[in-house]
Amino acid sequence: MSWNIGVIVLAGILGLLGVGLYGLLVLRNLIKVVIAMQILVKGAILALVAAGAAQDQISLGQSLALTVIVADTIVSVVGLALAVQVRSHCGTLDVRALSRLKK
Amino acid sequence: MAVVLTLMTIALPWVGALAVWLIGDARSRLQSALAVAFSAAAGLVSLALIPYATGGYEFSVFDAGEAFGRFTFAPDGLGVYLAVIATIIGCLAVVFSLDYMKGEHQLGRYYAFVLFFVGAMAGLVLASNLFLVFLFWEITALCSYALISFHNDDPKAVAGGIKALIITGLGGIGLLVGALLAYSYLGTFNISLFLQNAGQMPAGALATVAFGFLAAAAAKSAQFPFQTWLPDAMEAPTPVSALIHAATMVNAGVYLLARFYPAFAAVPAWRITVISIGVITALMAASMAVVSNDLKRVLAYSTVSQLGYMVYAIGAGGIFASQFHLLNHSAFKALLFLGAGAVIHATGTRDLRLMGGLGRAMPVTRAVFIIGSLALVGIPVLNGFWSKELVLEAGFLGGPLWAYLLAILTAGLTALYTYRCLYLVFYGPSHGKIPPHDAGYAMRAALYPLAIAALVTWLLAGPFSRMLAASLPFHEVDLLPTWEMAVEVLSAPQTFLALAVIALGLAAWRWRERLSPVANAFHGLAQAASNSYGFEWLNRQVVTLTQEAGEALRSTQTGQLNWNVVAIAGALVLVLAIVILGSVL
Amino acid sequence: MVYALIVLGMLACALLAVHARRLMVSALWLAGASALASLLIYLLGAPEVAVIELSVGAGLVTVLFVFAINIAGEESAAVRPLVHRPLAWGLVALALLLLGWLTWPRVLISPAPQTASFVQTFWRDRFLDVLLQIALIFSGVLGILGLLTDGEHKGAA
Repeated sequence: MSWNIGVIVLAGILGLLGVGLYGLLVLRNLIKVVIAMQILVKGAILALVAAGAAQDQISLGQSLALTVIVADTIVSVVGLALAVQVRSHCGTLDVRALSRLKK
Repeated sequence: MAVVLTLMTIALPWVGALAVWLIGDARSRLQSALAVAFSAAAGLVSLALIPYATGGYEFSVFDAGEAFGRFTFAPDGLGVYLAVIATIIGCLAVVFSLDYMKGEHQLGRYYAFVLFFVGAMAGLVLASNLFLVFLFWEITALCSYALISFHNDDPKAVAGGIKALIITGLGGIGLLVGALLAYSYLGTFNISLFLQNAGQMPAGALATVAFGFLAAAAAKSAQFPFQTWLPDAMEAPTPVSALIHAATMVNAGVYLLARFYPAFAAVPAWRITVISIGVITALMAASMAVVSNDLKRVLAYSTVSQLGYMVYAIGAGGIFASQFHLLNHSAFKALLFLGAGAVIHATGTRDLRLMGGLGRAMPVTRAVFIIGSLALVGIPVLNGFWSKELVLEAGFLGGPLWAYLLAILTAGLTALYTYRCLYLVFYGPSHGKIPPHDAGYAMRAALYPLAIAALVTWLLAGPFSRMLAASLPFHEVDLLPTWEMAVEVLSAPQTFLALAVIALGLAAWRWRERLSPVANAFHGLAQAASNSYGFEWLNRQVVTLTQEAGEALRSTQTGQLNWNVVAIAGALVLVLAIVILGSVL
Repeated sequence: MVYALIVLGMLACALLAVHARRLMVSALWLAGASALASLLIYLLGAPEVAVIELSVGAGLVTVLFVFAINIAGEESAAVRPLVHRPLAWGLVALALLLLGWLTWPRVLISPAPQTASFVQTFWRDRFLDVLLQIALIFSGVLGILGLLTDGEHKGAA
């Protein structure tokens, strides 16, 4: 019974990590890139909690997960602020156009 | 108490660096006063540490657990005396800079980096954890780059700084590889444990560590084949040259070899490689000094040559001889560099052909320069004589005969180029402008202690050997009281051979008119020497190659996020594959 | 059963978030994925983190996204990705395969039993983490301030 749960949760974690990584590889809009990164980190948070649960050290897992949540939130906030600034300065959020634009 | 003193030796200069930087360039008097105060305090603290250097004492400041082990420091004889040299000569260089750098801009950056460097050097020799040693090693490389390129609007200075950084950095890779290998086999970064258990490593791994450390030391101490960075680093302000290239940083390489000698002595071919590198460097650098026309270059080549002697002594097993020569060399070489600094400051040029007859206008400088030169040449009574003879004796007993003969030849060449340099600067007809006055007060305040040191540090041989013997359990240093050392040196036949060759060297310059046919016969060799035997060309090729490779790789830098993530994902796959392979195999 | 459903829902939301055309819809699907993830975390036996994840991940971050998307405006972005989709899928699949292979032997979850309380672990054992988070928050705030004030003074100096 527990083994099944473990496999399912692992599949979920791997799935989230995969979707997030795929998003980073494929998306061109900066805000969507931030969204993809959020998905990636959600997978990581889930992994930390699941590892804590599997080892009977749920508190340790929770502490680490909390640290990651805080860090990830800060990153997304700063990333969004950056995206807004880029949009107002350079007029576009497209990654390709940004790499060519000389400001 | 030892804990506090050790940590303060490292921390005081660093706090001073921060203070000097924060004070700002506007308050220059306060800035220089702070710089002198902190460096003097560091010197005093390191002197206070000497009584505690009884060995076997190790303390940890931070436990990084499995990752990097415990960050330990061990104030033993080898480390403490080098820390004393670093801080005291650092203090004297700062005092000298008060006059030399008067009126320059951005002195905050200058003093901060000098102090930062002194602290890092103290940390390097006092640390007992390989990772810490590597950390401080790289910090000294960074500081030397920052100080060599201090005049960052001068392209030669910047090029010299980058060359120094690249070469010593590449050597640092040898140190890192060695440290990681030692860790992977022995499970610890601790130096004492490494020296104890080095024999348990498989022969191939130990040999890699030994030669990796040798490469790092050779690069740092500007030995063959890495010697090209030191002469080009003479673009630094002269007090910096005195500090970094005569008295402290280049000593780090010799320190590394001396510290790890017990572990590597048994590695086949290591000792003979060390001996060869030392002797070849000594001879080559001495020959390049004979033909050089730049005052600081002559001193730079001289440093490389003397370091070659120390490396030679270590290879032959004479740890005490090499460290004693290191101690004396720091004193007289710093003296020579600072004296040269006074000359350069007064005449505005470094070219020997534009000097001459300065002795009348600068008697004090001439006097201290003569003292330094006598010590360098190895005239009896001055400190250089005793240690050089000990080095030669150790080489004779522990190394092959051909190395000994080359070393003796180098002693003669040393005499030749030193007398030449002294003569061209202070005697003879004047080819350039005569300076109006002698060295300033701050300069003299730095020169006098060093001159006295050059006269007396050899008396410390007894206590020094006692300190080394007591605190280095793995090195087998014998006790050698000063009187015994003096008797031993004076009664050994090698001493008289060396003195004879030195006299020949001096005479060769004296009678250069009569010997000019002989000199002309060596013309081809002189040409090769002034082109540094092709190493400059090699260097330029390497730099050009690197730059072209960089240009070629430019196309991979697309600047697009998605391609960067492709690289990250690819690296992730690679790392995972390696980990899986590692666990499967 | 429940776990499988939640995980499937979570993955579906995530995929839709990546594929959605409009940014606002994408942000909403992200909120859905966050909510389901927090539910999963709760079921695994970590109620505190679940609550925080729900309020921060599904609440705060979503509000921020809506805010930012409103300011930045929707953009009809180009659809063709710079990196070929097959290449991206290939890399992702490879990475996931290897990762799965590494972690496979260790999947054994017994949800719920506690050892030390969360509060004690968080505030005492991992105190360094707390300091780190405070430092992070400070730097985040400084970053935001730096970014936003720079925008306002765009015309001056």
